[in-house]
Amino acid sequence: MDNKKLWISFAFIILALFPPLFLSQYWLHVMIISLFYVMMASSWNLIAGFTGQVSFAHAAFSGVGAYTSGMLTVYLGLPPWLGILIGMGVAALLGFGLGYLCIRMGGIYLSLTTLGFSEILRIIITNEDQWTRGTMGLQVPGFFVEYSKTSYYYLFLIVTILLLIVIYKIIHSEMGLTFRAVLNDEVAASSSGINTVRVRVLAFAISSAMAGLAGGFYGHYLMLITPDVPSLGQMFLVLAMAVIGGMGSFAGPIVGSFVLEILSEYIRIYGEYHVLLFGLIALAMARFAPEGVVGILGKKWRREWA
Amino acid sequence: MIIEGKGLTKSFGGLTAVKKVDFHLNKGEIVGLIGPNGAGKTTLFNLVSGVYHPEEGTLSFNGMEITSLKSFEICRLGIARTFQIVRPFLKMSCLENVLIGIIGRGDQREGRKAKGEEARKLLKFVGLEGHEKNSANNLTLIEKKRLEVARALATQPRLLLLDEVLAGLNPSEILQALELIEVIRTQLKMTLFWIEHVMGAIMKASDRIIVLDQGEKIKEGRPEEVVNDSKVIEAYLGESDA
Amino acid sequence: MSEFLMYLTNGIVIGVINAISAIGVSLIVGIMKVVNFAHGELYIFAGYFSYHLSVSLGVPPLLAMPLSIFFIFLIGIGMERTLIRPTYGDEMYSLIITFVLSIVLQNAALLIFGPYPQKPPNLVTGAMNIFGLYHYGNQRILSFFISIGVLLSIFYLIKRTWFGKSIRAISQDREMAALVGVDHLKVNMLAFGLGAALAGAAGVILSPIFPVTPSGSSSISLNAFIVVVLGGMGSLKGCVVGGLILGILENLGAAYISTMYRHIFGFIILILVLVFRPWGLFGQKTQ
Repeated sequence: MDNKKLWISFAFIILALFPPLFLSQYWLHVMIISLFYVMMASSWNLIAGFTGQVSFAHAAFSGVGAYTSGMLTVYLGLPPWLGILIGMGVAALLGFGLGYLCIRMGGIYLSLTTLGFSEILRIIITNEDQWTRGTMGLQVPGFFVEYSKTSYYYLFLIVTILLLIVIYKIIHSEMGLTFRAVLNDEVAASSSGINTVRVRVLAFAISSAMAGLAGGFYGHYLMLITPDVPSLGQMFLVLAMAVIGGMGSFAGPIVGSFVLEILSEYIRIYGEYHVLLFGLIALAMARFAPEGVVGILGKKWRREWA
Repeated sequence: MIIEGKGLTKSFGGLTAVKKVDFHLNKGEIVGLIGPNGAGKTTLFNLVSGVYHPEEGTLSFNGMEITSLKSFEICRLGIARTFQIVRPFLKMSCLENVLIGIIGRGDQREGRKAKGEEARKLLKFVGLEGHEKNSANNLTLIEKKRLEVARALATQPRLLLLDEVLAGLNPSEILQALELIEVIRTQLKMTLFWIEHVMGAIMKASDRIIVLDQGEKIKEGRPEEVVNDSKVIEAYLGESDA
Repeated sequence: MSEFLMYLTNGIVIGVINAISAIGVSLIVGIMKVVNFAHGELYIFAGYFSYHLSVSLGVPPLLAMPLSIFFIFLIGIGMERTLIRPTYGDEMYSLIITFVLSIVLQNAALLIFGPYPQKPPNLVTGAMNIFGLYHYGNQRILSFFISIGVLLSIFYLIKRTWFGKSIRAISQDREMAALVGVDHLKVNMLAFGLGAALAGAAGVILSPIFPVTPSGSSSISLNAFIVVVLGGMGSLKGCVVGGLILGILENLGAAYISTMYRHIFGFIILILVLVFRPWGLFGQKTQ
């Protein structure tokens, strides 16, 4: 990582330590939710932005993580950190399975199957309510014995930063290079010796595991897990954050998550219009500015400093 | 013999693109593949490099049967190729493009720094020194072709398939390309199989020519023999009538 | 036994409507390599249009149905011109755009039509006695025959007319088709409109039997996709056979195994197809 970016990241991390000192409980909650979305959008970007596979099961995998951990802690009394780890493992396995299933037939099939998976998961969760409490929601213990928004904020901050470091390292590793090669031109990559099947399945499994991890923490923060967590509505928000922020870049999903989450809080005052609004913006972005907000700003800065 | 194909057949829907084609290349040879448009030349290359699998027929490379192998496995065994419509990784830098070829070898022993060094040397070898950080998108056509060759060479092949590598180049660029091909052949002792429409070049440089027409092999032999063969002339003349 | 036959009949009736819906998807995938995720939303919009035209505006149902389909056709063309056309060749963006569009339309439906299910009026009422074995609703019987009519028209359109031939040509080789004079942009636009119209047709035919609601759109899309995968992308015959298989299995499964999980049968079929025969029943095995 070049020095300038390192210093900027450090600055942001230091800044991020301060919010609990002056933010209200409500806005601290908004920050925690934003951090959850940063984890989700960044890990989705890893497969969609970097290997070109559009998965609609990302929210579903976070639901897998949340419900697995939730049920393990409630019914078996496992500690939350263990529940979350197991939840992540289950999500990784399902991700591996789903990815492997679709790999032979290409991107469209992956998108269709992940859509189906998402719908079916929602149906199962809603129907098996003796275990999941269906639409009423599963009450789960918190991560901390004593509830404190500040503690949760720092917890999410640490986990998010660690996850972002992992993602950054992947992107800049040889593995990341093979991801981008597959994204650019799968046939050429394969003819150059890259096992494209393995690359795509691996990327899918890794990002699903990350979604599971994020979901696990999310569940123990909300302490009430509903079928809304693995819903397509949530999937849409994650996608919109990555698209509007800027797919294929590292900072894009981060920016997108904060911007959209904060914006949705303001819009919610007027009614549930934020989905419609974000949808229209996302359509415009995908059509006219695929590099997203980060890309547009980046171009502007480069022009000014060139 | 370094590579041999026997009875290769490949159809798409109702169209048979390659029909019972036999061919072989010996180590160190440079063999040209010619034929009118639609003769099945690129399809044959796609069969050899594993992009398609034949319905009938077999392929063997260095004595090993490779007919049902996937294209990345075939690359790792030592067959590399360029594409008719040049396709480098456009959103990646030149260095990264070549690195993919190196990574594709699957060799875990080399360190990152060594790989970078090797990539730089390859870029220099094909004449792209200085373009390391340049995005492949920004290159001119001949530069893109050089990049594709560098990426292919990075996989350390023993057989290199060149698909119409001279297409779209002006006369001076053609001379540069031919020089590079000659260097590859002599310095790297590469076996070359190439498709070309620029007749003068391919006739001069090749040891042997294979001619395809409508999926079938109609002639094989030294350039002088092929050029005067009546069936070959008819195949090409027939095309210009259409 | 008569119960079983009734479920079977249900399956067949739903099956042919599934087929219409699936062809709507298959047409667009075949010609543009674009999956229209907003398919289910177009279906329910058609249902709501049909309802409001007949009930709120007093248009006779016989007119309201084709009119609704026509509106959806126009919406489809609008979608193609503004959003889909620029994404040609870029598979990823077309997936993202149609997905976002589906969410936008779903929310728009919620805001415009409200969350409550609506059912356009039946064209006929009462029931008929089928071979003395069981009674079956006349509306369903009529829907079956209307669907057969629609399917036959589609087959005629694709196999016999210039438009259909252009569609088939472009599906096979866009460049060649353009070279022989097919205006591929115009055909794309009309094909997308047609695909949308078929979603609308399915909606208009089925909504008097099963009311439409905005939240039901995802499973409608999913069912259409499953039929296309099962039948094989690009095969009209596959859509019909696949639609029937799905309809019958889902109905029998819901009746004898579990009603709550009726949609899971479709997903199980999807998984089985992907594992054992990913190119579908009548699809082409590509590399």
